[in-house]
Amino acid sequence: MESIGNLTRYLPLTEATCYIMLALTEPLHGYAIMQKVETMSEGTVKVGAGTMYGALSTLEKEGLIVKVDEQDRRKSYALTGKGQQVLRAQLQRAAILLKNGQASGMTREE
Amino acid sequence: MTENTIRKFKWFWAWQDDKEEAWLTQMSREGWHLASLGFPGFYNFTVGEPSHYVYRLDFFTETKDYTHYLQLFKDAGWEHLGRWGGWQYFRILAQEGESPEIYTDPDSKVQKYRRLLAFLIVFLPVWNVVILRNLGSSVHEVLQFISFVAYIAFMTIYIIAVMQLIRRIKALKQL
Repeated sequence: MESIGNLTRYLPLTEATCYIMLALTEPLHGYAIMQKVETMSEGTVKVGAGTMYGALSTLEKEGLIVKVDEQDRRKSYALTGKGQQVLRAQLQRAAILLKNGQASGMTREE
Repeated sequence: MTENTIRKFKWFWAWQDDKEEAWLTQMSREGWHLASLGFPGFYNFTVGEPSHYVYRLDFFTETKDYTHYLQLFKDAGWEHLGRWGGWQYFRILAQEGESPEIYTDPDSKVQKYRRLLAFLIVFLPVWNVVILRNLGSSVHEVLQFISFVAYIAFMTIYIIAVMQLIRRIKALKQL
């Protein structure tokens, strides 16, 4: 297991990557991830097929996700332990950002 | 080829993929739908009703993961029309005013052009050997001269392609 210091080199994750990893807390294949990301983000984040394919290759190469199954030419992936740590660290950063936003009153609707 | 198929020639350079996408999309607006790809620069179109197909080109050369790659695009609604070398031709039926993308962020689009750039660079020695061998083996002076001119032309286009791709990558990185 890597130390937190080493994990920060993956940060910050883009919003899309963050959602992709969040979707992979359960094993899913590429298109299922695309659909889940769009639903979870309430339509604010859409991931194109090319971007999705590239993200899965990169995340797999970095050991943040792993292939868990393959059916009908569709590979399913899930987060690795390292992936979970990176995602957690990113979400903590996002929480700090949101906290500052709330303190400034910027998150309230006009 | 059936009666309703028309072959058309149009040339696009490696760095003009967005122009090619726009042209194919416009052709479909006029009722000419890409059916298949012929020799480089030749497109086979079926003539029919105008429609809102949007065309996208990707660059993908991996053979091992090709079926998985195609399946993901198919799942996402993209029809694969064929390939020319590493260029993959996709289309999707779009709503009026919509313009579906296969790359939804600049970073991943940079990866596409990096793959293309890597492909060009890796194959340069191969092309050089092929052309230079022809140059050396031609006995006739005129043939040698023609080969030489062809070689210079090829290298010029090659250098332009590499520079254009680097420019595209830089522009995307500034987003």
